[in-house]
Amino acid sequence: MGSRRNWRRSATVIAVVAGAALLTTGCTANEAFFFDLPEPATVEAPIIQNLWNGSWIAAWAVGAFTWALMIWAAFAYRRRRQDEVPNQTQYNLPIEVLYTVVPLIMILGLFWFTARDQTEILSMENDQSQTVNVVGFRWSWAFNYLDEDVYDIGLPVGENTTNEPPTLVLPVGEKVRFELTSPDVIHSFWVPNWLFKMDVIPGKTNAFEVTPDKLGTFPGRCAELCGTDHARMLFNVKVVDRSEFNQHVAALRAKGQTGFLESDRQTDVGLRPSEERNL
Amino acid sequence: MTILNDPPVQSPPQPPSAYSPGLGKKVISWLTSTDHKVIGNMYLATSLFWFFLAGIMALVIRAELAVPGLQFVSLEQYNQMFTMHGTIMLFLFATPLFVAFANIIMPLQIGAPDVAFPRLNMLGYWLFFFGGLIVALGFFTPGGAASFGWFAYAPLSNAIYSPGSGADLWFLGLTLGGLGTILGAVNFITTIFTMRCPGMTMFRMPIFTWTIFVTSILVLIAFPILAAAFVVAFIDRSFGSVVFAPENGGAILWQHLFWFFGHPEVYILALPFFGIASEIIPVFSRKPIFGYKGLVFATMAIGALSVAVWAHHMYVTGSVYLPFFAFMTMLIAVPTGVKFFNWIGTMWRGSIVFDTPMLFTMGFLITFLFGGLTGIILSAPPLDFHVSDSYFVVAHFHYTVFGTVVFLMFAGIFFWWPKITGKMLDERLGKIQFWLLFIGFQVTFLVQHWLGVQGMPRRYGDYLPADNFTTLNVVSSVGAVILAVSSLFFIWNLIVTWKTAPKVTVDDPWGWGGSLEWATTCPPPRHNFTSLPRIRSERPAFDLHHPELAPPGVHDRPPAVAGQQGSTT
Repeated sequence: MGSRRNWRRSATVIAVVAGAALLTTGCTANEAFFFDLPEPATVEAPIIQNLWNGSWIAAWAVGAFTWALMIWAAFAYRRRRQDEVPNQTQYNLPIEVLYTVVPLIMILGLFWFTARDQTEILSMENDQSQTVNVVGFRWSWAFNYLDEDVYDIGLPVGENTTNEPPTLVLPVGEKVRFELTSPDVIHSFWVPNWLFKMDVIPGKTNAFEVTPDKLGTFPGRCAELCGTDHARMLFNVKVVDRSEFNQHVAALRAKGQTGFLESDRQTDVGLRPSEERNL
Repeated sequence: MTILNDPPVQSPPQPPSAYSPGLGKKVISWLTSTDHKVIGNMYLATSLFWFFLAGIMALVIRAELAVPGLQFVSLEQYNQMFTMHGTIMLFLFATPLFVAFANIIMPLQIGAPDVAFPRLNMLGYWLFFFGGLIVALGFFTPGGAASFGWFAYAPLSNAIYSPGSGADLWFLGLTLGGLGTILGAVNFITTIFTMRCPGMTMFRMPIFTWTIFVTSILVLIAFPILAAAFVVAFIDRSFGSVVFAPENGGAILWQHLFWFFGHPEVYILALPFFGIASEIIPVFSRKPIFGYKGLVFATMAIGALSVAVWAHHMYVTGSVYLPFFAFMTMLIAVPTGVKFFNWIGTMWRGSIVFDTPMLFTMGFLITFLFGGLTGIILSAPPLDFHVSDSYFVVAHFHYTVFGTVVFLMFAGIFFWWPKITGKMLDERLGKIQFWLLFIGFQVTFLVQHWLGVQGMPRRYGDYLPADNFTTLNVVSSVGAVILAVSSLFFIWNLIVTWKTAPKVTVDDPWGWGGSLEWATTCPPPRHNFTSLPRIRSERPAFDLHHPELAPPGVHDRPPAVAGQQGSTT
């Protein structure tokens, strides 16, 4: 029994050391258990954050239980005498049914929350105040501000002397619909702080809606391999108040960047509110 | 070592061979062999060669990523590195490794003298051998090897965006290798159906043989689709057909075809190795596998579900019906969980000893559980939207695939090395290797979960200092070095024991083996058995060697019925 007490002691030591490490390194719960999920920057992102945190709490609980079982078994039932012959148990039907049914119930729960949240995230009401056609191309981004009749375009790294990635400017607190198109290969439009990405696919127009609600500049990256300079296909999202947004639009217009850059945007994702009014 | 006090079990002595051929004759005999054990060994050696080669590519990748900026390779060379790392690891290492273990062990486990089609078996090996060479030859073409990622998404992989013969060699070489795998699967299914020895019913087959059976069915479902898609992609590239052209919806069509292969492929890699774990845990716990039938049905359920989940790789394409694929994907957790609890149930109240095979299997259990948990997270589309195509996914599939294939490959090699070579590997070197592998693996891949969630996309050869990815990338690269060092101990172990280890003279050096391979010599004779024990349970070798523990009816013949000479069972 002495050895059993020793394990308890070492388990306590491990727990204390892990807790102390957490405290001294100043890790928050988000950093330690939720992998440092970025601060949500849209109205929709907290839905994902809640599902993420909740799912991880369940996952860590399942993990802790199962790891504890296997490590406990490994220590508690280690061979003590060379001539040991354990009971030759082959099955135990009630327990087997239990560990089939309980996980089934757990995933039914996860599925319920998943289905509810994805419906909400992907819903499109067509009541946005801005529609931006994002064009991903090898290897930069262009933004057609469809409702303002202006555009902005980034230069691929080889031609880009300033090394500044293109910046998408959005008014804070207003719903934006993104329509994603590509003239060449598949790209993916990812703004980590939105906790969301969607592929940019040639021959197909993808769309989603978000409402940015935090002022600031957020990095964006291409997330689908698109060739040599995939890692250089960066952009920024700058969320500003309405008057600053209007200034930015005026500045683009002053530079002569009016109209749309050509893109094979198809309207089967729904007309913009202004297009509907014109019909 | 667990030889214990049991009387050593010895087969009848073999007549000494008077004639020992020279090296040239030996090589020729390997190259022309149709013996499943020799072909299995050739598969094993070839896939290990590719494993180390692709491991070196991984070191290049980790060296490049350690700090921001480009230090060792260009972005184009970087793309070639991860493309070929993934391609080789999946198609030229892990898949043929399943064929290797199936060839070496499965016929022994069902008491067969060889596989059903020995020459087809040999043809399969040579298709794999030359297919692999063709793929790797891409490095020696002017444009370099393929650089469009191992899933070769259209239109990036077409003739406009990936010109150059390296890509053509990639498509054709893998088609050839895939054909070899299909032939292997045909062979295994036929062998299992037709060549089981008397008494070996389907529900007495070892779990490993069951997993080979289900895996082979999955191969027959998945690989013909892959081969067809690759041939069509090649025709698109070379002869101007437009099947995968984006204006025809080809970008999404390719993803459907590829992942209809790609997801079953993940289970083609995992299931046989789950089988290896199911063989090892009972032997080192001195107990029969817990819930045998549950394990068999769980294997079938995983196989069936694995062909209905492919589009979970495509959540972010906006082109798939999310609830169906999310639900099917989550369902896989149930039979996988059943397997976990069966393994734990086997250990429960057992007598566990941590010889190297068991140690590697414990490493697999601990590692793969975490890969399973991140898999559940990824199965939920709202969560996948954020982490898809990020380092979180890279970490996830290394926890699952490396956790399964590599940990259990070493477990299987240490476990069956006496059956393969007639010698034991060194336990001390094996334990050092295990701890370096385990620690190196966790250090390399655990931190990648944080990188991905914080926003680092996969397949980036470079990142900005302002991204704050540097510290974790340094940690990950240090882990990769530890991993590399661990493999040196394995190679050293092979060399040392080859030269110095004594010959294994007993049938079952581990002492508590259950399946039939432990009822013949190490290594087995040309046609595997000189005599077969009575098979009346899932553990014929155990019943033979431990008659006092065998279930009733195995050793005592039932009373003879008049006129039937006692052969009623």
